[in-house]
Amino acid sequence: MVEVELRYAYYPGCASQEMTKEANETTRLVCQRLGIALHDMPKANCCGAGLLTDYDYQLYLALNARIFAEAEAMEMDIMTICSTCLMVMSTANRDLKADPKLLEKTNEILSTAGLRYNGTINVKQLLWVLAGDYGLDNLKKKVVKPLNWIKAAPFYGCHSLRPSDALGFDDPEKPWSLDAVIAALGGEAVQYKGKTKCCGFQVDLVAPETAEKMTAVRLLDGKEKGANAFVTPCPFCHINLDNYQGLAEKRVSQKISMPVFHLSQLVGLALGLTAEEMGLSRHLVSPEKILK
Amino acid sequence: MKIKFKIRRYNPVDTEASEPYIQAYMCEVPEGMTVLEALLKIADEQDPTLSFRKSCRSAICGSCAVSINGFSKLACNTQVIPEFKKAGEMLIEPLANHTPLKDLIVDFVPFWRKMEKVSPYLTPAEGESAPAVTPEDEERVDRSQRCIMCGCCNAECNSLAIDENFIAPAALAKAWRIVGDVREGNARRRLHRLSEEHGMWDCVRCVHCTQYCPKDVAPLKAIEELRSSAMKEGITDNPGAKHVEAMRDSVERFGRLDEAAMTFKTLGFLRSLGMIPFGLRMEKHGKLPRPHIFAQIEELDEVKKIYEESERRAKEEKRELASRKKGW
Amino acid sequence: MVIHDIVIIGGGLAGMRAAIEASRAGLDAAIVSKIYPVRSHSVAAQGGINAALKDTDSWENHAFDTVKGSDYLGDQDAIELLCKEAPFDIMELEKMGAIFSRDPEGRIAQRPFGGAGYPRTCYLADRTGHALLHVMYEQLVKHEVVLYDEWHVVKVVVEDGTARGVIALELSTGKLHRLHSKAVLIATGGYGRVFRTTTNALSSTGDGMGLALDAGAELMDMEFVQFHPTVLKRTGILMTEGCRGEGGYLLNSKGERFMSRYAPKVQELASRDVVSRAEQTEIEEGRGVDGCVLLDLRHLGADKINRKLPQIRSLAINFAGVDPVEKPIPVKPGAHYSMGGIRTDFDGATTVPGLYAAGECACVSVHGANRLGGNSLLEAIVFGRRAGIGVSNFSESNGLLPFPATALKEAAFEVADITKRDSGESPAALREEMAGVMEAHSGIFRDRTRLTDGLRKLRDIRERFKGVALTDRGDYYNNELLQVIELAQMLKISEAILLGAVEREESRGSHFRTDFPLRNDKDWMKHTLVSLKDGEMKLGYKAVTVTKFQPQERKY
Repeated sequence: MVEVELRYAYYPGCASQEMTKEANETTRLVCQRLGIALHDMPKANCCGAGLLTDYDYQLYLALNARIFAEAEAMEMDIMTICSTCLMVMSTANRDLKADPKLLEKTNEILSTAGLRYNGTINVKQLLWVLAGDYGLDNLKKKVVKPLNWIKAAPFYGCHSLRPSDALGFDDPEKPWSLDAVIAALGGEAVQYKGKTKCCGFQVDLVAPETAEKMTAVRLLDGKEKGANAFVTPCPFCHINLDNYQGLAEKRVSQKISMPVFHLSQLVGLALGLTAEEMGLSRHLVSPEKILK
Repeated sequence: MKIKFKIRRYNPVDTEASEPYIQAYMCEVPEGMTVLEALLKIADEQDPTLSFRKSCRSAICGSCAVSINGFSKLACNTQVIPEFKKAGEMLIEPLANHTPLKDLIVDFVPFWRKMEKVSPYLTPAEGESAPAVTPEDEERVDRSQRCIMCGCCNAECNSLAIDENFIAPAALAKAWRIVGDVREGNARRRLHRLSEEHGMWDCVRCVHCTQYCPKDVAPLKAIEELRSSAMKEGITDNPGAKHVEAMRDSVERFGRLDEAAMTFKTLGFLRSLGMIPFGLRMEKHGKLPRPHIFAQIEELDEVKKIYEESERRAKEEKRELASRKKGW
Repeated sequence: MVIHDIVIIGGGLAGMRAAIEASRAGLDAAIVSKIYPVRSHSVAAQGGINAALKDTDSWENHAFDTVKGSDYLGDQDAIELLCKEAPFDIMELEKMGAIFSRDPEGRIAQRPFGGAGYPRTCYLADRTGHALLHVMYEQLVKHEVVLYDEWHVVKVVVEDGTARGVIALELSTGKLHRLHSKAVLIATGGYGRVFRTTTNALSSTGDGMGLALDAGAELMDMEFVQFHPTVLKRTGILMTEGCRGEGGYLLNSKGERFMSRYAPKVQELASRDVVSRAEQTEIEEGRGVDGCVLLDLRHLGADKINRKLPQIRSLAINFAGVDPVEKPIPVKPGAHYSMGGIRTDFDGATTVPGLYAAGECACVSVHGANRLGGNSLLEAIVFGRRAGIGVSNFSESNGLLPFPATALKEAAFEVADITKRDSGESPAALREEMAGVMEAHSGIFRDRTRLTDGLRKLRDIRERFKGVALTDRGDYYNNELLQVIELAQMLKISEAILLGAVEREESRGSHFRTDFPLRNDKDWMKHTLVSLKDGEMKLGYKAVTVTKFQPQERKY
C-alpha cells in the first residue's frame, strides 16, 4: 500500500489555543500518529469568528486573505479544527474566488502590508481530512482499541455543513462524515434530529437564555435517543455542550450529565492513546464513567 | 415510478382523530413532477380532504413552503424523484417553527406580525428629495428584495425555535431591504430598534436561513449588513455590538481572540461578576480564559496596516454616501 | 356583521393600489382575499411595465402601439389615459420604495417588448410583478389597511340595484360573514384556470367576474383570451416576453427563426397573438419539436442571462430540466391573460351603482383584442389607483344603505346545498373536463363548429355540476368546498367566452376564426357585452371609441 503524504498548513483557531487547548493538543498527537503532517502558521491571525463580518465585511475579507496568503507561501491547503473558522474562512474564500473585482479590492488592502492572495488555497477541517483525504479505510486500519463502548451522538453543528455552497464537503441534509468516522473507530453513531443544528455558541454572551436553552435541547435530544456521549468536530460546540452544560442544566432545571468528546479525542482513544494524553480531565462533564 | 408519500395530517376539530398522524398515499410520479403537483394529484384523485396552501406553482408567490424530509422547501420547486432518491423517503410535514392549523397549513400570523414590526416600508427623509439610485445602490439591496415571504428561513431558524419573540430572518431581510436603501431617511432609528432584545443580535449564525432560502435571499448576509451598519452608525450600546467591538479590538491588538476581555467587554463589569461562581468551576479544569499579555501572532504590524487601510476605506465610503444623501 | 366604507375583493396589485388610495382619502377600506395579498398572481408578472419616460418617446407613441396591439378594439380615450398617466405612476412606485433596474447612467432602464415601437418597458430583472406587489404590500402595512385574508367572497350583495357589501366564507372556520359597506370593488384578477395549459396561478379562477355577473354587472369582450407565446410545456409556467425583448430567438425543428415569415420586420417582437399563432402553425404543420417550438437564449451569454433573466434561468432548470445557457427551452402558447372582464368606466365604476372593478378582472377597455406585454401591470396600477379614487368618491357621497336581512341566510342555503349532497361527481374531475373543453374548443384557432360543440359540452358540464358532491365534510379549511365555489364561477366565465366567440364572426387580435380569417371593421368595431338575466346569459354590443387612430391593417 502506498501511503499518500498528507500535509497541511495548520490553523487550530483561537478557541483551541486557550479554552479548549485539549482539542489542539490532541489533534497534533493524533495527526502525528496517523502520519498527517501539520505545519504551524505563526503569522496567522484570528478569522473573526463571524463577528468581524458583522463589523466590516471588507476588513473581514482582508484579514482572512492574509491567512490564505500565508498558506499560499507555504504551498499548502489549510486544515483547521474549528467549524466556525472553517465556515468563516471558506465563505471569505468563496467570495474572493468568485469575484475577481472583490479579490483585487482586497489585495489593494493587503498590499499596504506587502501581501497578496492569489486565490489558490482550499480550507479543510480535521473531520474532512479524516473522512476524505486520509480515508476511512486507512483510519480503520489504525484502530487498536475499537470504541465498542460508545454510543455517540454525532454533533455536526452548523459551520461544518452550512453554507454548503462555500463548504461543499458534506451534505447538510444528510451528513455522513462524522457518523462514518465514529463507525470506523468501532463506535455506534446515534441518530437524532439535532445533529445538524446549532449549539448556540454565538449568543452565549449576547442572549444567554437562548444559548443555554439551545444547548440543553441538543443534549437532551441525543440523550433521549440513547447516546452515552456527544462528539463534535468543533471546539466552540464543545465549549457550549461541555463547559456550559451546567448553565444549560440550570436553565431547564434538568440534570443532563452528558460527556462530550472532541473528534480528535475519540480518534486518539481508538488509536490507543490514553485518557490522560487526550486531556479528558479538562472536561467539565467527566467522561470517566463510560470509558473502557 | 410509484412513490409512497407520507404526509402529516392534522385536524384539531376531527373528533375521532384530533392529534397529528402520518397518512401514506401511493402516487405515480413521472419524471419532472414536483412535490406540489403530487400533492394536487393526491388531493384530486385520492383525498380531497388533504389541505395545503398553493398558488403560483412557479416559486414566486411563497404559498407552498412545507417540510420535505425534515427540511423546509417550496413544494412547487422540489422535484419528487431526485428528492426521494436522496432521502430514501418522501415525508411531507408542515413547516417547523410555525403552529400547524390543519394538515400542511400553518399559522402565518406570527410571521406577518414580525414583518410588520420592522415597519417594512420606505420612509424617505422629510423635505429632502431622494438621491438618485445608482446600479450599485440597487445591487446592495437586490438579494434582500428577492424574498417571497415563504417562511422557509424562519422555519429553519434555530434561534426562533428557542425564542418565539426573536424577530427572525425573514423580517430582518426585509429590514435590510429598507435600511440598505439609499433613499431611506430613518435608517438610524430603525437600527436602534433592531438592536433591542430579541432583535438582530439574537441571531445565532446557524446559517440555516441562507442554506434553505429558495430564492437566494441570504438572510444571514442581510443580518450581517444590518449589524455592520449599526456598528458604523455608532449604535453599540448593547451586548451584541459590544461583543463585536471587543473582537475587533482583540484582533487588532493581539491578532487573535481574547476571550477573557471579550466576556468582560460584552457583559460589562457587573454581569461579569455574576459569572464568577461559574468561572471558578471552569478554573478547576483549567478552562478559564485569561487576559492575554502573551503570545501575539508574528508580523502583527501587517494586521494593523490592514485595519488602518480598511477603516480608511470604510470612512471614505460613509462620507461619500452621506454627501450623496445631502447633495440631493 | 362588520362595517367598512369600502370592501375590496382581491389583494393583488390593483386591489392593494385601490385600498391605498381609499386609505389616503381617510376612508376605512378592507381587503378580502382568498389568499394573503403577497401571494396574489400579480407577483408572477415577470417582464415589466410600460411608460413613455424618455424625451425621444411620447405617450402618443405608447398609445398608438397599444391601439394597434389591441387590433383597434381598445377604447382610445381609455388608452390615452393609461399612457398619459403611466410616467406619473412609475415615479410614484419608486417613491413608494420600488427600485427599477438602472441603466449605467443611473436612470430607469427600459427594454424592448413585443408590439412596441420603442424600448419603453421598465423592469426589475425578470421579477417586476413581484417587486411591485411587495412594494404595494409594504404600503398596505404602512396604511394599516384591514385584511380579511383566506376569506372567500361568495356573493356581492345588491339590493335595489346598489351594492351593499359582501358575504364571505372564512376558510379557516367555514363560517359565512357579512361585510357591510358603502361600496364594493372587485380586483380578483384573471381566470386562466379555465384552460388546461395556463401561465396562471391555481388561484386564478376569475371569481370576481362571476360575482359581478351575479350582481347584475356586465362582462365585456370575454372572447378575447391572450395566449402567451412562451410557456413551458407540461406546467404552463411563463417564460417572460423579456426573453425575446433581450434578444432571444424562436426556432422551429429545422432551426429556422420562423418569425421572419410571419412578421418580417420585428420577428420575435411581434405582438403576442401574432407570435402565438405563428408557433401554433409551425407546430401543426409539423415543424415543432415534441409539440413545442424552441426559445433560444444561448447567444445572449451566461452573464446577460444571469443579470437580466435570472428567474427564467432557474425556472427553466427546475421546471423543464433545461439550462438556457446551454440549450434552447421548449415552449408553446398557453392561456395567459384576459383582455375582457367586468365592464367599467375610467374610474372603475360598473353598471351597478356602488360596484367597482379594476385590474385584469375589469375591462375599461385598454387592451381590446390583444394586450401588449408590459401593459397589464400598468393597467393594474393606473386603474387600480383611479378605481380607488372612484370608489372613495362614491362612498364619500353615498351613505351606508341597509344590508338586506336575508342575504346571509340565502348564501348559507346555497353553500349548504353543496355540502349536504350525499353523492355525486367529483368536482376535481369536472374541473379537469371543463379545462379540456376550453383548451380544445376555444383555443388559438377557432371556428363555428368547434365553438358550438364546446358550448354544448360546457352546458352539459354545467348541468352535471349541479350534482357534484364533496368528499370533505368538514368546515375547517375545507379546500374542496372552495374549489366547488370557484368552479361555479369558472363555468359561467367559460360560457361567456364561448358565447362571445361563437357570435364574433371575424378575426381580431387573439380571437382567430379560421372560418372568418379577416378583421371586419364594418360590422365588428364593437365590444361584446354579456349579462345574466334570470340565470341565462344575454349578449349585447357597444361601439368602440376611436379618437386619434383610424383602423389600419396591422403588420409587424
